[in-house]
Amino acid sequence: MASTRSRNGWIIWLTFAIGLLLSISPMPQFMEILRPLWLALLLAFWALYMPDKVGMVTAFCLGLAEDVLYGTLLGQNALTLTLITFLVLSLQQRLRVFPMWQQCLVLLVIFGLAQLAQLWLSALTGNRQPTLALVLPGVVSALLWPWISYGLRGLCRRFKIN
Amino acid sequence: MRFLVLVVLSVTLMVVDARFTLLKPVRSQMSLVLMQSYWITDLPQRLWQGVASQFGSRTELVAENEKLKTENLLLQGRMQKLAALTEQNVRLRELLNSSALVNEKVEVAELIGMDPNPFTHRIIINKGERDGVVLGQPVLDARGLMGQVVELMPYTSRVLLLTDTTHSIPVQVNRNGLRAIASGTGNPERLELRHVADTADIKVGDLLVSSGLGQRFPAGYPVATVNEVIHDSGQPFAIVRAVPTAALNRSRYLLLVFSDSRTPEERANDAAKAQEAEQSGEAPPIVPATVPKPVVPAAPVAPAAVAPAPVVSDPKAVKKPATPAAVKPPAAVPATTRERQ
Repeated sequence: MASTRSRNGWIIWLTFAIGLLLSISPMPQFMEILRPLWLALLLAFWALYMPDKVGMVTAFCLGLAEDVLYGTLLGQNALTLTLITFLVLSLQQRLRVFPMWQQCLVLLVIFGLAQLAQLWLSALTGNRQPTLALVLPGVVSALLWPWISYGLRGLCRRFKIN
Repeated sequence: MRFLVLVVLSVTLMVVDARFTLLKPVRSQMSLVLMQSYWITDLPQRLWQGVASQFGSRTELVAENEKLKTENLLLQGRMQKLAALTEQNVRLRELLNSSALVNEKVEVAELIGMDPNPFTHRIIINKGERDGVVLGQPVLDARGLMGQVVELMPYTSRVLLLTDTTHSIPVQVNRNGLRAIASGTGNPERLELRHVADTADIKVGDLLVSSGLGQRFPAGYPVATVNEVIHDSGQPFAIVRAVPTAALNRSRYLLLVFSDSRTPEERANDAAKAQEAEQSGEAPPIVPATVPKPVVPAAPVAPAAVAPAPVVSDPKAVKKPATPAAVKPPAAVPATTRERQ
């Protein structure tokens, strides 16, 4: 059991590292506003398919890392990522049997909620974003979900992660 | 259950981080590792530049070289004039008994990342606490002021640009000295002057320079040029919009300004002491060494000290009397050497 648990677990961490890099990679100005929530997407996938490996503590740590990178208050992104993982984990049984488009819709709601929480938190700290355009990353992430999901499932099969 | 614990934990972290400085060391330790990722994301750009400069065609390089040479010539020409003007300025200030201008020391930094949040205008540079950067330090590019350092990490720091919505800078119209406050609008090409009287003498094309009144930015650096003045009789104030002179979203190489670190009181004290020393006869030469400001005592003392030299009648020493004049600008330099400490 122990040997199978640790098999190829590093792939998961590699995807998270890439996710962190993607979330700070430079983009053209007009696309900045559409930047997908890479870490949220990855966390949602791994929480859905490997709930015993990736949970809220992982989300919390990644959120702290993101906070340091973004220069926000420590705990701000940690809170939203934990929220996303919590919602995904509590809906896990149902989400797994949903067809893809339905998964997308549910994730859209989850990401939207998380972004609203983010707006609320940044309003508390005084850097309020002027528009509701910050829900856009949630929409883009939900649209990206099928590709992420298929791609990572392929990765799982290829490296026999379990 | 675990969710609740984590939520409470992150909320406490946020509160502690916002109110106290307890978490600063944790943050800087984490950033030591994590900030490498900005460097990694910057790598393709760097590689591309390296490759481009490796394989740049010869004609291009020659053309660029030519261009740089002419530019250098022009700048040096301007520098000659500047030296004379600085000298003149120092002398005039001596006559007025006001404090001399201090040359600020600058250091080149490179941009390594942009803030991913599109609603804030912040950049990340490759100089940090270990390089002597301090909080609130002004940052320039070749054309004007860019912003100030708002977060320090060991080897990187975060710079808030002038155009961020939370940033304002005290400015002065270069033409007539009219003071105002330029606030960022969130648009990288626009600053707004708040609360400018409708009758104020400000015109399109005016250059706004930093006034140094906030005691954060050094005085006299170009900030923006006015490009729109709207007099609306329905509004209590004129609407004045300006374009930053610095290339806020294009510059890759920036200058960090190390200005005088002393508080205004200390500065005033030092100046007063220098003046006292001057009045009580010829100042001891220690004073100009420790106090950078008073060029006044430095000038009369230096020739006196050097004067005995020609008596030695060494042919090389004959050159020396020329040095006090040349030494004069360095009289202001101790300020910069002091700041490094």
